[in-house]
Amino acid sequence: MWWLALQVQDPDPDPDQDQDPVQVPVPLVDPGLALAWWALRFTPCVVRLDEAVLMEVSASERLFGGRAALVSVLQTAAQRPPECFALRLASGPTALAALGRLRAAAPDAECNDLPCDVLTAARPFSETLRNLGCQNWGHLRALPRAGLARRLGTPLLDALDRAYGDRPDPYVWLQLPPVFDMPLELPTVVESASALLFGAQRLLAQLLGWLQSRQLGVLAMEWSWQLDTRRANAQHRDAHHDGSGTGRLCLRTAQPSRERAHLQRLLAEHLGHVQLPAPVGALRLRTLETQVMDGASASLLPDTSATGHTQHQFVERLMARLGSANVRGLQMRDSHLPEAMQASNAWAIKPSTGSGPNGATSAATPGPRLLPTWLLATPRPLVVHADGPHYHGRLQLLTGPRRLEGGWLEARPALRDYFVARSPQAGVLWIYRDRLLRDGTPQWFLHGFFA
Amino acid sequence: MPDPAHILRSQALPIRADVWPAHALAHAPLAVVPTGNAELDAELPAGGWPLGNLIEILQPVAAHSEWRLVLPALVRQGVGVVVLVGAPHRPFLPALQAEGLLAHRLLQVEAGDATQRLWTTEQALQCAAVNAVLAWLPRTQAGSLRRLHLMALGQDKLLFVMRPQDVQSEASPAPLRLRVQPADQGPWDAVCVQVFKRRGPPMSSGLVLQPRHAHLRLACEAQIG
Repeated sequence: MWWLALQVQDPDPDPDQDQDPVQVPVPLVDPGLALAWWALRFTPCVVRLDEAVLMEVSASERLFGGRAALVSVLQTAAQRPPECFALRLASGPTALAALGRLRAAAPDAECNDLPCDVLTAARPFSETLRNLGCQNWGHLRALPRAGLARRLGTPLLDALDRAYGDRPDPYVWLQLPPVFDMPLELPTVVESASALLFGAQRLLAQLLGWLQSRQLGVLAMEWSWQLDTRRANAQHRDAHHDGSGTGRLCLRTAQPSRERAHLQRLLAEHLGHVQLPAPVGALRLRTLETQVMDGASASLLPDTSATGHTQHQFVERLMARLGSANVRGLQMRDSHLPEAMQASNAWAIKPSTGSGPNGATSAATPGPRLLPTWLLATPRPLVVHADGPHYHGRLQLLTGPRRLEGGWLEARPALRDYFVARSPQAGVLWIYRDRLLRDGTPQWFLHGFFA
Repeated sequence: MPDPAHILRSQALPIRADVWPAHALAHAPLAVVPTGNAELDAELPAGGWPLGNLIEILQPVAAHSEWRLVLPALVRQGVGVVVLVGAPHRPFLPALQAEGLLAHRLLQVEAGDATQRLWTTEQALQCAAVNAVLAWLPRTQAGSLRRLHLMALGQDKLLFVMRPQDVQSEASPAPLRLRVQPADQGPWDAVCVQVFKRRGPPMSSGLVLQPRHAHLRLACEAQIG
C-alpha cells in the first residue's frame, strides 16, 4: 500500500508576473472534486478526505515506472492545460500518514515526528494534548492506551492505529457519476441573462473535467436557474420559463463536443435570447445526452491543415444567433416547375461521413437548357407597355418561347412561356408570360437572372 | 541619356516581392485562383483572384453578373463550403450544378441588417471548412471592410464583397476593386469589366467579357440571325 495525498494549491496572487491569459485556468465550482476526477486516470482507488484527495497507487506504480516516476508524471500532467492545477503532494504508507505529511508540509517526516494537529481525530483535543505535553504522534502513541481511550474516546485511538497501519483502513472509492448534475449558488444575485455566463463558465469548466475523465462528448445539456420567488414576476411564462419559478435552457450540439470555447460561445448566443423576469440566485447544469468521444491524438508531422472552427461549430453559431431557418442549404428536386426544382431547407449538419455524390445524378439534366443562375423566390410582375414588357428599359426577347406546363397534380397549375430577354441596364433575364389569363391580357413575370 | 523606363526594364531588380514598378502589374507571390477567363486573368496581379484578400465587385443596382465572374474560380477551388451572406435572390441549383458547383457546397445565410451580415462574414472567414465567402454589403463603413480584409489575410479563402456602383468614389481597403455592368454593345450576354483599383497601373479601358453561355449565343443567333 502506498498513498499519495494531493491538494490544489491556491494560486498566490503575484501582480508582478504577467500571466498568459490563455494559461489562466477558469475557476471551478468544486476544485477538490475536479482534482479527484482527474486523479482517477492514474488509479481507480481515489477518495476525498477532508480538504485533500487521497489515492492508493501501489497497483499503478509498475505501469508508470516506479514511485518517483509516478509522482513526476503527476506533477507535469497537472501543470499542462486544460487542468493547470498547482499541486501539493505528499506520500505515505497509510492514508492518514500521507494526509498528515501533506498538512504538516513535511514530505519526509517520520510518522512519530508529525504534530498532533494534523490528525483530524486529534483536533478537538488540541488544548488538552498541549497541556499534557503531547506534541507529536510519537508522544501520543506512547501514552497508555486504556487511559487515552477513557479520557479522549476511542475514535482518536482508532485513528492513530489506522495512521500507523495497525488496523485496516477501508474506504469507499470515488466513482464518476454517470450523469453530470451540479448546482451552483451564484455569489451575487444576477439580473440579466448575459451575466449568468460568468457562473456558467465555472460549471462548464467542471463539466469538461468530467467529460474528459469519462471520455465523453456532450450532445445535449440542460441549464436551469432558480428565479427569486419573492418577486411577482417569478410566475412569468415564456419560452424558457414555465411559471414555476424555474428557467430552463436546453443546448444541443450536432456532434459530441468537449471544447470549452465552442460550448461557451453557443451558450452566450442562446443566453442572448433569454429575458430574465426576476433575479436569479442559483444555476444548475445537467447533461441530457452524451456520446463516447475519442481524444485527439497528436500528430507526428507539423499540422498543415487549415486552422479555424469546424463546419458544425460555425453553422451552430450562425443558427444560434440568426435562427435555424435563416441558415439554409439547397437540394435538388425532380420537377418541371423551376421553383420546385430545388428545395431550400435549414442546413442539415451531416455527420462527417465524407461528401457523397450529392445531387450528382440530377445534375445531368438532358440537353443544353438555358437556365438562370439566380431565381427569384416569388416571380416579380413586369410592367407592360405597348411595345412589350419593361424592366429597367424595354426588354428585347432573345430566345423563346419555351412552353412549360405543370403543377396540375398539386392543384397549382402553371402554363407559362419562358423567354430569355435582355434589358439595357439589368443584363440578361429569364422572364415568362403567364398563359392562365386572369383578366384577359397575358401577364409577364421576371423569374431569374443570368448572372 | 538612356530612357529611365528602359533601365528599369533591363535591370528588373527583384528587391522585394511586394514592390513593383509603376508601369507593371505586381507579381508578389500571391496565392491565386484563375478566374477561368484568360483576358481577365491577364488584367489581375499574379493572374487570378487573390486568396485571402478582400475583392470588391461593384454593379449597377438592377444588374447581376456575379456568378459568371466567380463561378469558375469557386468550382476550381475545391470542395469546401461556399457561404452566401445576404444574397439578393436564390441561387438556382440546376444551372449552378451544370457549371460544376455542387449543391452541398452552398450555404445561404439570410441576415437582415448590416451588422449581422458583417458578423456572419467574419464567422465564415474563421471556419476551416469554408472555401469562399460571397457577401452582399451595400452600405458598409470602410472600417468594417478593413476589419474583414484583415481577417481574410493569411487564410486561403476567397472573399468577394458585392456593393452598388455608386460607392466607387468612396475609399475602400480592398486591394482589388472591379466594376461590372452589362456591355452597351457587342454580343447579348457580354459584360464590361473595369478593374479600377489593383496593384499596378490603372486600366485604360474596360474589358468586354465574351458571352459565357455558348448555347445562349447559338440560340440567339439561330433565332435572330
